[in-house]
Amino acid sequence: MFENTLIPVAYGERPDELKNIGVTLKNFGARSVCLYHVHESGSFFRASDISWLMFLQEALEEVGLSIEVKRGEGHIASSIAEAAMFQGCDEIYLKAKRRWHIETMLLGSVSQDLLRLSDVPVFVQKIRPHLPDGSDGFSHDDLIVLYATDLSALSARPLPYIKEFHGARCHILHVRDRMADPSTERRRRDDVAEKLHGVEEELTPYFGQVTSEQRIGDPATQVLHVSDWLKADVVVLGRKKSTSFSAPMGDTAERVVNESKASIFLVP
Amino acid sequence: MIRDFLKNERVFFISFAIILVFIIFGYIRPDLLEVVSSSVHSAILDYFSWLYLLSASFFLIFSLYLALSKYGTIKLGRDTDRPQYSFFGWVAMLFAAGMGIGLLFWGVSEPLVHFLNPPSFLDAATPGAASFGMKYSFFHWGIHPWAIYTIVSLSIAYFSFRRGMPALISSCLYPILGERIYGLAGNVVDVLAVFATIFGTATSLGFGAIQIHAGFTYLYGVSSAVSITIGIIVIATALFMASAILGVEKGVQTLSKINLTLAVSLLIFILALGDTSHILDIFTSTLGGYVNNIIDMSLQSYPFSANGWSRDWTIFYWAWWISWSPFVGLFIAKISRGRTIREFVLTVLTVPTLFTFFWFSVFGGSALSLEQSQGVDLGAVAGEDVSLVLFAFLENFPFSSLLSLIAILLLLIFFVTSADSATVVLGSLTSGGSPFVPTYKKAIWGLSLSGVAIILLVSGGLHSLQMMAITAAFPFMIVMILLCYTLYIGLSQEKAGK
Repeated sequence: MFENTLIPVAYGERPDELKNIGVTLKNFGARSVCLYHVHESGSFFRASDISWLMFLQEALEEVGLSIEVKRGEGHIASSIAEAAMFQGCDEIYLKAKRRWHIETMLLGSVSQDLLRLSDVPVFVQKIRPHLPDGSDGFSHDDLIVLYATDLSALSARPLPYIKEFHGARCHILHVRDRMADPSTERRRRDDVAEKLHGVEEELTPYFGQVTSEQRIGDPATQVLHVSDWLKADVVVLGRKKSTSFSAPMGDTAERVVNESKASIFLVP
Repeated sequence: MIRDFLKNERVFFISFAIILVFIIFGYIRPDLLEVVSSSVHSAILDYFSWLYLLSASFFLIFSLYLALSKYGTIKLGRDTDRPQYSFFGWVAMLFAAGMGIGLLFWGVSEPLVHFLNPPSFLDAATPGAASFGMKYSFFHWGIHPWAIYTIVSLSIAYFSFRRGMPALISSCLYPILGERIYGLAGNVVDVLAVFATIFGTATSLGFGAIQIHAGFTYLYGVSSAVSITIGIIVIATALFMASAILGVEKGVQTLSKINLTLAVSLLIFILALGDTSHILDIFTSTLGGYVNNIIDMSLQSYPFSANGWSRDWTIFYWAWWISWSPFVGLFIAKISRGRTIREFVLTVLTVPTLFTFFWFSVFGGSALSLEQSQGVDLGAVAGEDVSLVLFAFLENFPFSSLLSLIAILLLLIFFVTSADSATVVLGSLTSGGSPFVPTYKKAIWGLSLSGVAIILLVSGGLHSLQMMAITAAFPFMIVMILLCYTLYIGLSQEKAGK
């Protein structure tokens, strides 16, 4: 499922850091990586000078991954999203935190656009999981996944990906409004519990421990709260189609992507 | 066992304790009560008068939205429920519940007072002031009060008839509070509803007693000492408590019908013997002015010229209607089972409003005509005592003594029926929404209503009554805003098929 990953890279990327990412991606089943760079027409750097990209390629090849280097032009996020689709990538890997705050900020708008535009799942690397230096990388055995679902048919799309994560624990979270009266609330609670149990059973073979809960309140707030409480490494969310009054990628997804300390795996 | 009893009766004990403290405090130190209530009242007006205007406008827009949206087809009750009362009977009861004493008190005097004491940007006793007076009387008694009632009654009707919950304000907040409606949070909401009902109804009873007393003074030269007003309250209290405790429901219904018939007869009499075509002109023109200016008036507090005027009138009215809304809301909800939201909202907002407009055109319009074109100095009477104006006005018609007696009778019956219903509603609010209220609670609430009305009259008269209505309404206004939200949640969940 995560065999072919596209990593957007920019000038200044550190090979050792990328190597760590490569190890972790390999642990999660990656076989090949497409390093993708978008050249901006007004850029200070010459388009023909791609030596830095070669360094990155070499660093990743040391990990044992098959590397392809591709370059594109135009609007950064659109170009990355397009390339991921044409290359048949299974996911796009983005690192949210950079060395310099200004970089994080500049990349922030690209990430937002990419999360909105991409037809391929996007993994946004945040503070958690911490990628250790060295050759081992982050492994499945320590992984805690939080799967936030509204239990609609559309929200089942992340399930095949979650199975691929394996890991120590998967916590399924459903956040909803309270029903208008106690008896409807009781019925709704039982109905949700039953559905969550079904999802739990489906995921049990893939994780050391699978738990679920339903909460009442604002979905983004609850997802962030549970993610911190659980010390989740990855929050898996489905992306909803935006309506005219909502945020471009859905209010919940947008807030969680912006504020979460755990990495985000957003499935379109 | 005692613990369970105390827990179940928590709303009753807390509410009663607050009211008792208020009565004792008012009895021992009426001067201090006046100072404290003045400070609270001033603080609310200084900082939140804009909120009253915005809230009342929002309640109107929200009601219309519910009626005209996809939610309009939802029935207040099960889908198979049919309305209990005929359309005419239902409208008559709506009207009797919603206005009552106030219409008699202010019907003549309000347009006249605006005419003589308009805001500072208008000259007094001019055609402009007359037109302003009529327009604002329509505004204060028009569609906004009914929108305020609509919010509370729709919420109660929806959550109790359709969602099977007890007929309590706290039940309507289940989507926010969840199981906490059975705990302290829910108790606080119900206590606020009791608090608003006590002071809102006591204000009306105070007005009624003042005017009955004024009628006797005007007709028979009875002393104008406040002890006579207190005596009237005591007699009326004995009547309505007997009615409430004996449970003479049919008697009260008969009294309501008699009252409505008397009120309509009085209206037709004044219309027929007054300047009919002029009254109809006033009705039509004021209706036009009202419709044309409703948005401006809804949000207008005259911050640069007559802020005080807006506070004294518009804010007072909005607060008064809000403080009446738990009581009227519960009553209207009870009689509206089986009607759709669209039918309920559109009828409640239009039919009683049009009748009220007509009432003001007949009584207020005639009073202005007498003042302007026939040289009758009603203004001097209003300046002396606003509660005397109705009787001074009736003096200008044939059989004036009989008409005044009818007016006094109307006031007395309105007093008894309103207080009786309020007692039952207060009992129900403090008995977990049960329609079966123990006698001791009816007695306690009946005495409390009268006690509060007397204390307010003694401590500061009409002004005190107005101040407490505004103060008691403030926390309930916040509850009402939450009611809009929870009602919307309930309706949208239902339409979404959850």
